[in-house]
Amino acid sequence: MILGTVPEAVVWAIYLAPVASFVVIAALSRTARFQGTSEYAGRITIAAIGIAWLASLWALDSAIGNDGESLAFAPHTWATLFDLNVTVGVHLDGLSGIMVFVVTSVSLLVQIYSVGYMEGDRGVSRYFASMSLFTAAMLGLVLSSSLLQLFVHWELVGLASYLLIGFWFDRPPAAAAAKKAFIVTRFGDFAFLLAVVLIWSKTGLLDIAAINDLAVAGGIGAAVLTGFTLGLFSGAIGKSAQFPLHIWLPDAMEGPTPVSALIHAATMVVAGVYLIARFFPSFEAAPAQILDLVAYTGGFTALLAASLGIVQTDIKRVLAYSTISQIGYMVMALGVFGFVAAIFHLFTHAFFKALLFLGAGSVNHATGTFDMRRMGGLRGYMPITYWTFVIASLSLAGVFPLAGFWSKDEILLDAWKYEKPLFVVGALVAGMTALYMFRAIFMTFWGEYQGGEGSDDEHAEVHGEPHESPRSMALPLLILAVPAVIAGFFNLGGGFSHLVEGALPDELRHGPPDIYGGIVAVSLVMAFGGIGAAAAIYHAGRPSAADVRAKLGPLPRVVEAKYYLDFIAETLIVRWILNGVIQRAAQLVDTYIIDFAVDQFAESVRRAGDAMRRVEAGYVQGYTSLFLAGVVIAVVVIAVLGTGVLER
Amino acid sequence: MLTVFLLLPLVGALTVLTLPRDNEGNARWVALFYSVLTFIMSVAIFIRFDPDNPGYQFVDRFEWIQGGDTGFTVQYALGVDGLSAPLVLLTGLLSLAAVLVSWNIDLRPKQYFAWLLVLETAVAGVFLSLDLIQFFFFWELELLPMYMLISIWGSGRPRYSAMKFLLFTMGGSAFMLVGFLVLGLSAGTFDIAVLATEAGRPLDAVIPLSVVFWLVMAAFLVKLPVIPVHTWLPDAHTDAPTAVSVMLAGVLLKMGGYGILRIALPIMPDQARDFGVVLAIIAAASVIWGAILTLQQRDLKRLVAYSSVSHMGYVLLGVSALGAVGLSGAALQMFTHGTITGLLFIVVGLIYDRTHTRQISDMSGLLHRMPVLGVVMIIAGLASLGLPALSGFVAEFTVFAGTIQAHPAATIIAVFGVVLAAGYILWAVQRVFTGPPDERWTGLTDAREWWEYTAMASMLIFIVGVGVYPRLLTDVIESGVEPIALLVQAVA
Repeated sequence: MILGTVPEAVVWAIYLAPVASFVVIAALSRTARFQGTSEYAGRITIAAIGIAWLASLWALDSAIGNDGESLAFAPHTWATLFDLNVTVGVHLDGLSGIMVFVVTSVSLLVQIYSVGYMEGDRGVSRYFASMSLFTAAMLGLVLSSSLLQLFVHWELVGLASYLLIGFWFDRPPAAAAAKKAFIVTRFGDFAFLLAVVLIWSKTGLLDIAAINDLAVAGGIGAAVLTGFTLGLFSGAIGKSAQFPLHIWLPDAMEGPTPVSALIHAATMVVAGVYLIARFFPSFEAAPAQILDLVAYTGGFTALLAASLGIVQTDIKRVLAYSTISQIGYMVMALGVFGFVAAIFHLFTHAFFKALLFLGAGSVNHATGTFDMRRMGGLRGYMPITYWTFVIASLSLAGVFPLAGFWSKDEILLDAWKYEKPLFVVGALVAGMTALYMFRAIFMTFWGEYQGGEGSDDEHAEVHGEPHESPRSMALPLLILAVPAVIAGFFNLGGGFSHLVEGALPDELRHGPPDIYGGIVAVSLVMAFGGIGAAAAIYHAGRPSAADVRAKLGPLPRVVEAKYYLDFIAETLIVRWILNGVIQRAAQLVDTYIIDFAVDQFAESVRRAGDAMRRVEAGYVQGYTSLFLAGVVIAVVVIAVLGTGVLER
Repeated sequence: MLTVFLLLPLVGALTVLTLPRDNEGNARWVALFYSVLTFIMSVAIFIRFDPDNPGYQFVDRFEWIQGGDTGFTVQYALGVDGLSAPLVLLTGLLSLAAVLVSWNIDLRPKQYFAWLLVLETAVAGVFLSLDLIQFFFFWELELLPMYMLISIWGSGRPRYSAMKFLLFTMGGSAFMLVGFLVLGLSAGTFDIAVLATEAGRPLDAVIPLSVVFWLVMAAFLVKLPVIPVHTWLPDAHTDAPTAVSVMLAGVLLKMGGYGILRIALPIMPDQARDFGVVLAIIAAASVIWGAILTLQQRDLKRLVAYSSVSHMGYVLLGVSALGAVGLSGAALQMFTHGTITGLLFIVVGLIYDRTHTRQISDMSGLLHRMPVLGVVMIIAGLASLGLPALSGFVAEFTVFAGTIQAHPAATIIAVFGVVLAAGYILWAVQRVFTGPPDERWTGLTDAREWWEYTAMASMLIFIVGVGVYPRLLTDVIESGVEPIALLVQAVA
């Protein structure tokens, strides 16, 4: 600990600085100075997130000084309604300390990069306002002391991603992707909301620490705890793009590339991992099947997405499936009690994945396309982008001694200890990761330049010879390359473990990680095997990609069709079943049964009126015969019911 | 104070009518003057209302019809409590907005604004009445201006829709009148406050109280509306002029929810408990059925109208649990739905004024031409789908928190309505506002008139304000709901 204990106001500033930036830019966005130039909006955003970053350093320092245990900041009452007492507060411990550091660091670099990347775009003020909101919502999410407060920010993260994915709203795919992201994640949020409501109604608690304590103490029934953790996990599946709700993330590529960097590295998708980690004591206290479900969902997603990553031709989509796969890795780690391993991987992944996305943006800036088949040979034109991209890829592939090696190794170790089938999955995924990353590198940076430009150009300028990106874009790449190399060393002495495990109750802590030579060997063999395969197929051409494809039979086509999962979700379920059958049937029932009955009833009243009018036409004969008929009916009724009626 | 508030719009209506014929254009200014005054009074009532003081405040009362010992005594009695205070504010707010969005009415403006102001008095009378007969009087009074406004100034099939609206409401209120008479004559009083006590409540009547409960509920459920008595609503909304849609969705539907909370539950709590499950089932069905039908709509205004069926289902759901939190949620939902849907109708109306079409498929890329209207519509839409930090979420969360224990299955079904809401709102936004700019719409203008801005801003303030800081409403509502909750739970 270098500085004194952080005051509560400084922790709040981490969150409120980007909030202020959002409000200011949104309020001024229609003034002339904020139109079409990133000069003002960009500076305000960078300044605000810079402040948040400095404050988060102090907060992290205090969390370290406190052994990662929670600094007690009393929550504040926000709203009360009978016994529903909603508080807001900041919860700072090792877990949230690491998270605010990661979020502010990545976001700051992404904003600096954005100034160059987004220059000249008409909506640049809207862009920075949304980016501020995105960062603020994520910071609010990780700092929340109350479950409801967390849920609110969780939804605001969804809102900001909606605004940013659909940033170029005049492009129909962008607008569709934004809508898809929001609605798909809402399926998860539906169960999350139920979990919030459930836990409050059963325990009267919304405070996160109090819920965890009660769960650990056995104060929550198994059924309620099962429902609660399942609800939270559903929310995580949506936000963190796990199977089967992963389908929104690849489409989210329609947003500007720096947005993707932020979504994939530090905000949004890691929110689900954080949520499970935050409630890890509750998940451990729940019946064991819950964590098994978490583990296998993560493992399955990791494998599924890695296989999809191998067949993409769009460099951003390779990275998108890579993210789904790596987040699956983290979720799997949580399921096999790898609390530290999951967060450690989240930490290292944030840096190298942000770097990869910014690198992809840099490539697009130079070539005007994301299609790797139109690239090639770029390593000569843009050395900074090339070398940083390679470093990040090596790190992601888990090559010793880069950051990704250490965190991946911890996950594999936990999988080996607690769930051997998942160790096999993890090792396989490691190999596939190395394969798709180096496939991307060979296609993008090696060979001959294929001319670039395509329909997916994010910039209106004319592209000639590819060129290295401007300094504001290159600098973040160089800075991010440093943690992509060294971030793995932080847990060598168990320092990271100690810090993060401070968030757990004593009995759930595991202590510093071990290193098993066998696992290291497996992991390295898989990594180099993947790289070697990529080099053989996509560089040397022995065997050529076409040969491999032919040998695999129908499999590549199934994978390229995304295993038909998008078809099942969008066409089969939404278009055919919901739109085609359910909605249409409901409309028919509403129009031709309910409303028809109403109209018919009204009509029959009118007809009855007509009939009555005819009856009461003033003819004495008519009245007499009706009177007679009435008397007859009365007599019959009395005869049937008995004469008792008359006597009363 | 309340009498002045109640009669102010009526005076305004009479003033409008006395304007000389060659000066009809001034009718809107007179209407604006009176609706601003009324709005200011509604704010004053809301602010000066003391939530720590239980019971009715600012009471004005005298005996209207003296029945001697027949028991048929009808009072003129006005008062507000924590339940009606937010609705009084809502009435003032939406009536003002309704006048503003009618600024360009040029067909017989004198009559138009006069009816609009009469409507305000009628609705305010419903929320202020402390006597069953008086309540019924204002309930029926509201029909006349509504019929006129829809059938004369409406579009599409206005006469059909107006008549449908009239018949549905009267059908319901005929049952309600029978119910009221049975209640009042059995108990010997029509005073709502007296009836809503254990001593004053009728324990038996000429027809079973459980039947009376449904007689009274019939009118409220039609008004709310719930399935299967909702089909008047989309027709009335679609064919009504914008201001009337705003009033209809914003305030008139709340009369149904208010009636349940003010009359049905406190006077017949035992019956409410017996039928709580039935109410929950109707509510969940309305939420889902309404949402599915909303997904199917191709007309922007009809889409908003159907979403009301779904959202008012939350009001009934909150009621059905009969607990303090759920009832508060219902009361909150009434206010927030009033502002959110009111705003949606305003924006849809302003768009229609420009495009002269409401078909979603005809529109595309409107955000390029009308960024302000687009952003306001998106905010209102997000509020409608329950995004936190906007008021819809506060109400929905409270409803769900209040009902999950009593009716878990119905609550889970109703929460799923939130997912469907995201579907229809975002689909409409995508189709209408995003996409490349459409050549057909290059000539369109964005919102630029002062009255357009004022109408939208007045709603937005409440949507964001309540969403960020719910205590603006919750303290008042809590004071109004508490006695009702105590009554309903007393015998359990």
